[in-house]
Amino acid sequence: MGSVIIEKMTKQFGEFTALHDINLEIQEGEFFALLGPSGCGKTTTMRCIAGFEQPTSGKIKIGEKEVEKIPANRRNCGMVFQSYALFPHMNVFDNVAYSLNIKQLNASNPVKQLGIYARLLSKRLGRTPKDIQEKVMKILKYVELDQHADRLTSELSGGQQQRVALARALVMEPAVLLMDEPLSNLDQKLRHSMRNTIRTIQQDLGITTIFVTHDQEEAMSMADRVAVMDKGNIVQIGTPTELYSNPLTPFIADFVGTSNIIDVEIVEQINGTIKLKGDNFLLQSTNTIEKKQAKAIIRPEHIQVLPYDTDVNKEEVNVLEGIVLMSTYLGPTVRYDMKVGDQEIIVDTTYSSGISIFEEGRKVKLSIDHGRVLLI
Amino acid sequence: MKARFNGLSVVKILIYAFFGLFLLIPLLAVFLISFTNEPVNIIGSFTDPAILSSSIEKLKAINLDNYRQIFSNAGYLDSLKNSLSLALVVMVLVILICIPLAYGIARTNMPFKKTISALCTIPLIIPTFISAYAFIIMFGRAGWVTHFYELLGGDGMLINPYSMTGIVLVQVFFFFPYALWPLVAAFKISDVTLEEASLNLGAKNWFTFIFVTFPLAIPGIISSALLIFTVSFSDFGTPIVLAPKDLNLMVVEAYREISGFFNWGGAAILTVIMIIVAAFFFWLQHILTKGKNYGSVSGKPKQQKMVTNKVLTRSLSVYSFLIVLVPLLALLSVLLQSVATTWGKDLLPSGYTLKHYQTIFSTSLGNIQNSVILAIGALVLSVIIAIFVSYFVVRQNSAKMDFMTSIPLVVPGIAFGIALIQTFNVAPLQLTGTAILLIIAYTIRRLPYMVRSTMGAMRAIKQDIEEAAINLGATPLTAAITVIGPLLLPGIAAGSVLVFITVIKETSISILLAPPEWAPMSLAIFQNILRAEYYSAAAMSVILVALVLVLQGLANYIGKKQRL
Repeated sequence: MGSVIIEKMTKQFGEFTALHDINLEIQEGEFFALLGPSGCGKTTTMRCIAGFEQPTSGKIKIGEKEVEKIPANRRNCGMVFQSYALFPHMNVFDNVAYSLNIKQLNASNPVKQLGIYARLLSKRLGRTPKDIQEKVMKILKYVELDQHADRLTSELSGGQQQRVALARALVMEPAVLLMDEPLSNLDQKLRHSMRNTIRTIQQDLGITTIFVTHDQEEAMSMADRVAVMDKGNIVQIGTPTELYSNPLTPFIADFVGTSNIIDVEIVEQINGTIKLKGDNFLLQSTNTIEKKQAKAIIRPEHIQVLPYDTDVNKEEVNVLEGIVLMSTYLGPTVRYDMKVGDQEIIVDTTYSSGISIFEEGRKVKLSIDHGRVLLI
Repeated sequence: MKARFNGLSVVKILIYAFFGLFLLIPLLAVFLISFTNEPVNIIGSFTDPAILSSSIEKLKAINLDNYRQIFSNAGYLDSLKNSLSLALVVMVLVILICIPLAYGIARTNMPFKKTISALCTIPLIIPTFISAYAFIIMFGRAGWVTHFYELLGGDGMLINPYSMTGIVLVQVFFFFPYALWPLVAAFKISDVTLEEASLNLGAKNWFTFIFVTFPLAIPGIISSALLIFTVSFSDFGTPIVLAPKDLNLMVVEAYREISGFFNWGGAAILTVIMIIVAAFFFWLQHILTKGKNYGSVSGKPKQQKMVTNKVLTRSLSVYSFLIVLVPLLALLSVLLQSVATTWGKDLLPSGYTLKHYQTIFSTSLGNIQNSVILAIGALVLSVIIAIFVSYFVVRQNSAKMDFMTSIPLVVPGIAFGIALIQTFNVAPLQLTGTAILLIIAYTIRRLPYMVRSTMGAMRAIKQDIEEAAINLGATPLTAAITVIGPLLLPGIAAGSVLVFITVIKETSISILLAPPEWAPMSLAIFQNILRAEYYSAAAMSVILVALVLVLQGLANYIGKKQRL
């Protein structure tokens, strides 16, 4: 087990800079997600940690040890590949036993090595030692695959293959567990249950885990902390709640959850309240900002839709007039596309039966707490 | 990581050097000699200043006399014309014969379809000089067909095998499978929805065939036609056995110039022309098929509606049997001759004996041995080279290597043989007449098959499988032995069988390059035919075909296992 520290890491592929001066500090036992759109450098970061890529400059430490000079096969980072990369010519048991066999191979003299090679190539040429067998069966039982040890991996379902890949990485007792979009090949329902499985196993073993994903929901629901990456930079690191409630840039506000991002001009600042001017409408916010031009971030679920004739006389609430452009029924929620002034705004409201949906073209009132208007 | 890359770079340089030395330099030498009219020792020029200066002298004397000769020497011009018209006629006939056959297999429920398909593979297992020889047994002056023809009241031979007609017929009946399977694929492009659309729009069945099914198959037809043209143009086995003295064909002419008259310039110029023609048609086929990757583009399985019209399917079936009957009878004729005491001008031999096989096993066992040893040598060499070549092409995207290893596909065997002789018959690398040069020649000539086979297997192994092994603690070497190797094995095995078969069947290289003490079966059979020792030629041919059949069966078995 160990922490992972990355200092000033840069990676270039020819002219293209994939990573700019990355700094990361991942605690021992932490579940850490690298989140970002494709091409943002998250996979490159992971491949540098695993040793498949050499950083152009910078340092990587795994458990206090610098790893630049350690080749990929001796880094002891268990990796779960996006495609699982299970060995198609081996059954479940042999896939999981592979790293243990290799460990034994590396510790043996050349004569014994020949025997191990022979055993790896054909089962008839030798038996797997007891201790390896026991370890493999134990981990297979842990991921509930002990019944399938003799199956070929191609005969398993997607979720089962995923668990084989996980077991294969875990059996080597890695210092860090690396997971590259491990859930992207599963269907929606399975993804939910695998999320819980992975999180439970991670907590159970207390293993430092780095998880690469482009799915913000996945990152938010599983990770202790998330690093959001964009164009080879780390834009923000924080717990899921920090990222959601305090996005540092419009990019994060948009990428983590859905946001209304509105260009505003600061009109005046009185007693901790800022008056803002948008495109033909006015807003107030209790958040602070030092700029003249800013962006106001409002989450769709923080806006309330009220009939036009409602009187709202609460302090610290923005009341805006809007027109419904479109309403979409999504089951538990209704999403409205609204026009406020010359600005289009998305609003999510919870739907419960009995409440009528505002039809298109209807004039409504929108209320937003002053505190919910974030400024960047 | 770095160290492994350096090791591989050395291997890469070695492969380039191998191809440079044994393929590019010989081709360059032939090209130069076609101008100088005298041998140019390229390799010697690098090692010996005296040779270098003489080479320079020769290069100074470069002239176009040889090329003028093409037009002044009636023999050369005739041979080019004859070879082109042979290839053209064979091409047209093969396509005409194959269209109904391919349509029958692809789109109808004709009776005995499976049997017919199986019989269509017979021509592929028989080397062409044996098929040519079988035609002599059938249609020759003392052939059983001739006898049959006379019984029916005919006069003389039905067809003279020693003629252009004879050569055309042999090539048509033994090359048609090369066009058949691409044509079958072409007829499968048009799927049921397209044809139903046509019917729905009011067209009749025949109208749909002419305006929908057939036009969709045209690219496939053209591509097969060009393939047949190249195969026929490059074929050495048939003309060398059947071409009469007064019929000039390029391959035969080139062979005579080099092995009969030692006319370096003449052989060189014929070789250059042969390569240019073959390469041109190969290129033409390549650009026509490129970008028209029809058939397998969509992942949606296509549904075929099979024609069940009884009159049509039955007549197609009868027709197909008539086509495959010819190669089948040819094979049976050779088989019969090999067990005949004597077979004069009669329908059947006068008696049966196994004495020819006895003779072979007592006197010619060496030839069988040679064939096997040479084939194994070529096999081992091509496996090693092919594994690395496919690694470089697949993993490092080395287009240059891909291109270089496909060059042998366009060089006719006889041309390659001449190029090698002209390059390696003098010091410092005097290899002509050694088994080594023979093995190298086989290897280079058949490497494209091996490379294709291993490359397919290599492509199927995703990079992350290799990375997974390394991530789990394996060194690159261990990963290669325990993961990459086993996954590559089926591809290697399939390619190996193919190389082995083609080397055993190989005619032109063997005849040109094999020294007497290393004579393989094909050369022995060829010499027997020349000496009119037909019975032992037949017996040896049967052994050769049997060997090929066994290996082919093995290949099919491996292929089936691989798919499971």
